[in-house]
Amino acid sequence: MGGSVASIAGRERTLEVDFALVGHQESWRAAADVLAVLRGPERTPLPDDEIKDILPWIPPRAVCHVDVASIVSTKIGGAKARGLYIDSFIPPDRLDAAYVHENIARVRGAAACAIKAGAKIVSLGGFSSILIEGNFDQLPERHDTVFTTGNTLTVGFIVQGIKKMCALEGRDIHRSTLLIVGATGDVGSGCARCLAPIVRRVLLSARNMERLRSLAAELQADGAQMEISADLQRFSAEADVVICAASLASPSLLLGRITPHALVCDAGYPKNLSPRAEMLGAKVFFGGLGQITGGLKFAPDFHGILNRHPFPDVVHGCLLEGMALALEGRFEPFSQGRGSITQERVEEIETIAARHGIYLAPLYNADGPVEDRLHCQTEWSRG
Amino acid sequence: METLIAVNCSTTECTSLSPNAPIWQDVLAQAITGELLATMNYTSLSEICGDPEEVADALEHAEIERGHAAAFATEGRKIGVDTTNNVDAMHWKRLRDAFMRCITERDFIGCLIVQEIMLESFAVASYARVGKVAPGSLGQTFARIAAEEEEHVDHAMAILRTERVLDAQRFDDKVYRLHLDVMTTLAQMLAKECKDGHCEVCHSSCVKPSLSEVSLSAAELRGASLQQYLKTLDMLGIPGEVTLAWVAQLPV
Repeated sequence: MGGSVASIAGRERTLEVDFALVGHQESWRAAADVLAVLRGPERTPLPDDEIKDILPWIPPRAVCHVDVASIVSTKIGGAKARGLYIDSFIPPDRLDAAYVHENIARVRGAAACAIKAGAKIVSLGGFSSILIEGNFDQLPERHDTVFTTGNTLTVGFIVQGIKKMCALEGRDIHRSTLLIVGATGDVGSGCARCLAPIVRRVLLSARNMERLRSLAAELQADGAQMEISADLQRFSAEADVVICAASLASPSLLLGRITPHALVCDAGYPKNLSPRAEMLGAKVFFGGLGQITGGLKFAPDFHGILNRHPFPDVVHGCLLEGMALALEGRFEPFSQGRGSITQERVEEIETIAARHGIYLAPLYNADGPVEDRLHCQTEWSRG
Repeated sequence: METLIAVNCSTTECTSLSPNAPIWQDVLAQAITGELLATMNYTSLSEICGDPEEVADALEHAEIERGHAAAFATEGRKIGVDTTNNVDAMHWKRLRDAFMRCITERDFIGCLIVQEIMLESFAVASYARVGKVAPGSLGQTFARIAAEEEEHVDHAMAILRTERVLDAQRFDDKVYRLHLDVMTTLAQMLAKECKDGHCEVCHSSCVKPSLSEVSLSAAELRGASLQQYLKTLDMLGIPGEVTLAWVAQLPV
């Protein structure tokens, strides 16, 4: 046993790392599953109270190796990229503002691990990017490592998901009223820029009115019809398409009285929508997810643990962006800062991702798939 | 419980007994036992060192650790408690036996790994936590000794990093073998509840449930110790994903 663990490390060490994915677990259940894999099947899983006691003390570190394959063939076979998944070990119940400094330190620690491993590009997943998107100068000194929030591809998959869901439900997106919750964030504003030109009306909701006004002015200049409000309840009954892209520490969003049969995309990590939210006939689906079709391997095997989705090889768009750029050999900080995602950049990263077989994932929600899997693969994912 | 090794202390006047004194008495008993074990370990190490400078270093360390034990005993007197020690207590004896196996094999590097990486990580982290909450000179002594122990680790790290450069895989295998032996015992000591019966160091019942009365907890001491251990292994250059699995597999 000892020989095997250390020997694997010895072999891995000699291999080059193209990308690193920095993430954290969104629930204690997910964290428990990660630790259960690390303990191995021969040991009893840790009790929940022990996990809550131990996890906050774990310093940021690599959890596993990740190999991703492209559908593009090269002279020596399919293009591949090799990476690491690095967990910042932010405890799932410590994502709120009270822990912001501690969590930034954790993301910095995870970034330092990526730099030390020699990763050429690092994707910042979930709250890692929210913590860092306006503070890239807080990352450790880099040498040949670049960082991307991955938000551009997340926006791409959210927008694709909205369009696909409208098509599946026979809705004319051009006649819809779109509500974006968390509209001034990097992902929310990116979605607004991509969808405002094609929907009838846009409702933007966020806490910061000044940022809302600024975004609205930008979009109105391009001819979009829109309204802004910090009061979400004011809008929720008017929208028939909703994107939830707020930075919430836990699933706590209540949309209030929502249009029956509204399409609601929950694109948060952690999820935005409260399990108590009464959706009254609305069709909810999770957004911002892509699927790798060329091949995805974890060592040790964390399939279904680090990517807890009902379909194989589904990964959040923010992490996929780094993987796609690594497969493309474009080691550049594609997404940085806040509020700079444009439709052109979204199309560019979607093209790169698709070239390597990374497409919109089949749509699903907490109850399972929301569409026919085969239909998804043929009509949309490869389209 | 018998005091097995006499600790040479200066005479200090006792102050009145605080309600928390019995808790500090047990915390000090564990610390003194650990320091005396370290004294014995460094003395044993001096016997296998070939280089006279290494012999002198080991003996100097042994004296420093004995001084720490004496300082803790003095702090016990200040709060009016008799601090015992028991290096033959079940967990501590297992730790000593693990170290002595390295001595028997004349494995200098193994000895450093056990004492400096594993036992000192535990000491540095737990003393630092106690140092933050213990009152007056008791807290100051724990904090000071935590800092001194950290310096020991720095000295050994340089030797161990050099050794790892020679053959990383062999080195990591050795650390893992010793981890299974030593850290399993330390994890049992650090468990939130003592599941193997009385530890033979606490003066009456187990101190762990009472730690909250002095703003400590067994979970916190364990967490801080494992964190220090992981960070120390990181500094050695052992891959984080490997050491994470090692720690995740420890008993709780």
